[in-house]
Amino acid sequence: MGAADVMYERFDKNLQAVNGNSWLATVPEAADIIVNAFKENGIPDTCLCETPLLKEMGLKKALEDAGITVYTDHIRLHSETAKGGICETQCGIADLGSVLQLGDDVDARLVAGMSEYYIGIVRLSTIVDDYDAMFDQLCAMEELPTFVGFITGPSRTADIECVSTVGVHGPLKLSILVVADV
Amino acid sequence: MANEALKQEIQSALRNTTLSRTLGKFCETYPEKRLKSYAGVNFEETRDSIREVKGYAAEHIDEMIEKFTKNCTARGGHVFHATSTEEAMEYVRNLVREKGVKTIVKSKSMASEELHMNKVLGDDGVLVQETDLGEFIIALEGNTPVHMVMPALHLNKEQVADLFTDYTKEKNEPIIAEEVKTARKVMREKFTHADMGVSGANVAVAETGTVFTMTNEGNGRMVGTLPKIHLYVFGIEKFVNSLSDARYIFKALPRNGTGQRLTTYLSLYTGATEVCLDKDTDEKGPKEFYCVILDDPGRREILADEDFREVYDCIRCGACLDVCPAFALLGGHVYGSKVYTGGIGTILSHFLVSEERAEQIQNICLQCGRCKEVCGGGLHIPEMIMKLRERSTEKHQNPTYKFALDAVSDRKLFHSMLRIASIAQPAFMKPGQPMMRHLPMFLSGLSEGRSLPKIAQVPFRDIFPTIPQNVENPKGKIAIFTGCLLDFVYVDTATAIIKDLNSIGYVVDMPMGQSCCGAPATYMGDRKNATVTAKLNVDAMSAENYDYIVSACPTCTHQLREYQEFLKDDPEYYEKAKALGEKAYDFCKLFHMLGGLSDEGDGKEMNITYHDSCHLKRSMGVYEEQRELLTHTKGVHLTEMKESDVCCGFGGTYSIKFPEVATPILAKKIEHIKETGADTVAVDCPGCMMQISGGLDARGLDVDVKHTAVIIAEKRGLM
Repeated sequence: MGAADVMYERFDKNLQAVNGNSWLATVPEAADIIVNAFKENGIPDTCLCETPLLKEMGLKKALEDAGITVYTDHIRLHSETAKGGICETQCGIADLGSVLQLGDDVDARLVAGMSEYYIGIVRLSTIVDDYDAMFDQLCAMEELPTFVGFITGPSRTADIECVSTVGVHGPLKLSILVVADV
Repeated sequence: MANEALKQEIQSALRNTTLSRTLGKFCETYPEKRLKSYAGVNFEETRDSIREVKGYAAEHIDEMIEKFTKNCTARGGHVFHATSTEEAMEYVRNLVREKGVKTIVKSKSMASEELHMNKVLGDDGVLVQETDLGEFIIALEGNTPVHMVMPALHLNKEQVADLFTDYTKEKNEPIIAEEVKTARKVMREKFTHADMGVSGANVAVAETGTVFTMTNEGNGRMVGTLPKIHLYVFGIEKFVNSLSDARYIFKALPRNGTGQRLTTYLSLYTGATEVCLDKDTDEKGPKEFYCVILDDPGRREILADEDFREVYDCIRCGACLDVCPAFALLGGHVYGSKVYTGGIGTILSHFLVSEERAEQIQNICLQCGRCKEVCGGGLHIPEMIMKLRERSTEKHQNPTYKFALDAVSDRKLFHSMLRIASIAQPAFMKPGQPMMRHLPMFLSGLSEGRSLPKIAQVPFRDIFPTIPQNVENPKGKIAIFTGCLLDFVYVDTATAIIKDLNSIGYVVDMPMGQSCCGAPATYMGDRKNATVTAKLNVDAMSAENYDYIVSACPTCTHQLREYQEFLKDDPEYYEKAKALGEKAYDFCKLFHMLGGLSDEGDGKEMNITYHDSCHLKRSMGVYEEQRELLTHTKGVHLTEMKESDVCCGFGGTYSIKFPEVATPILAKKIEHIKETGADTVAVDCPGCMMQISGGLDARGLDVDVKHTAVIIAEKRGLM
């Protein structure tokens, strides 16, 4: 097993420990995996923040071909009702199963925060070993983006009788598609 | 007597079965969950780093405020430096008015609660919605948080369903997953329509102008993403200098708070991020971003006070609550503050909320020191609570306590009283009973849930000269400090210590001028009497004449070591007290250190469990030596009990002041003892011995409680 595979295994194991799941896939494989995940979970519509990587995957067309309504603009409006949400995230942490959003783009934040089933997409090459490595990376940036968000699993609460329950205000289900780029 | 209103609130909390069930369960499982979350992370190093970075910020607080203001402003934010809660609230009020804000969604902000923001804006006709599920529930109930991290633990799912039914006008079933869905649905509407979001910061970074918020539910992100106006309210204690400094806090905060390695969301906002300005046209632009830095006189008072300055290092993780035996029973409402609860809450309430309330609630602390072990900022919470107690006692001491402590500080008077008591006690004992089971009238609380040991007919100081000490070629001379309980109650334990030390070649002397160690005065905040007693014992013990001073009561040992602190302003006594402190050891530590470890023993089966004294384990760090001594003894089998280092509820005068709290703590300890099936409980503290044996006797349980010194002496055939 190569270093990249080991990194992915750690990421996946730690994400599962916080009720999330992940897939390792190449760009051509990605669209089918995401379409199937949405179909299996009965997601009829989704917001999608297009980026060059997601366009390369042909995600929008694949979802629409599968009968899923896809919104790529007016995200603020559609995120109020759309069940699904897909966007690219900028990096990840293997030791925690976390992904990070870095940047100003409000649509990506809406998609990751408001959907019932959120799928984040991250390049394997951007996953760092641990929390300290991520902080070192953030500290080395010339200017910190206006928003940096760590996401570690679906939203959760234990506020009633200490019973852990997922999906309070944010996603009930969270998956990360890790793009095998190394 | 503690304040009657507080007593009533304590009774009310004890009657809440949901609270005792959920909080009790949480507190029981918390230590292990927390420990597990630290796998691969060194807690001690992390908290040292936290102290370092927060200490730096505290020392440079004006620079932090200036840098943060400059850097946040440069990124499009607006910063207001408020020098009082009133000024902060006025700023918020004007901002809300000026921007025409009608609805606000809030994620947890303790500082905003200090401003009474919801009430003030509510009175102005603004709808302020708490969005954290627990906060939302207690807002519906019209109550205050019972816990800093889990505010609605006092309510069960049935009560939550009723509150939701009233609010939504639709029937809500008492199913937690469904209730969470209701909250999602109700709150989603609020998020999408709110004019303003209000957040609290976990950390603010001066060098970058960044504020951090961590949540699990995702409400924090909604508050920061949806409304066009975003307001942060936070106190000056949230500052660190650099982004890298912030990392340490987020290593400890989730682990200490909920036993998570990281919460679901950790969000960093640096200035004005993008928002959607019009959802129909999809127009986007920077949000209006405001930060109110709360720099009120209470916070400055903390920074200026040498005894309390480290409060600044608190990261608000709530770990001190989760390990506190009294908090586990009572929850946060008895602490009276709408904002801060538990040990740290007592201190914060003193400076930031109400000194009067803090004066009462500081009494709830058992001084067991468990909070100090887990504190994310390394705060000396028990010591600071003691300081509050001292300051309160200086102002107005309870006359009954004063009379009692004055008497205890007068050795001759106190010892005469104990001798008289030994004659009077048969009136409260039934023939054949080894212990007093019921005391009359106002003393009845003392025997609630436990029996009391009888006072020895002959005190140890009268027995001591009759004990033969045939030690050939003695290796050294040790002075025994008996303390009250060994001198006047547990004379057999004191005798065992002599026998044990003789057996390894040491002669023991008992300086007769010694008296009470002064712990009762200390723990009741009476520094004057504590100092009088310290001087008396420093003179009496003449440490220069001995190789070591031995005590078999960890509270006494700890007190002997602390004398130098009481006498620091008296150069002559300070040096003598320092010498005494350096020679003072608790029995098991000293006996182990001087070569007492041996495989000797009569081999007769003895199934023991061990209870750790708070002072021995946490103040002196001794927990392995006694176990080694006991388990090496032939015939002795040790089964560890659950939560062996949790206080037994004795706490010196605590069990007298708060029997209603001490009794259930003791009951839990008894349950843990029973679960082990042991026939003997080994202890190293006569106070614990009194409390636990009393609890066992009151329940008719045939389990012995013995001091380690006695077990060793008996099993080695020394007495």
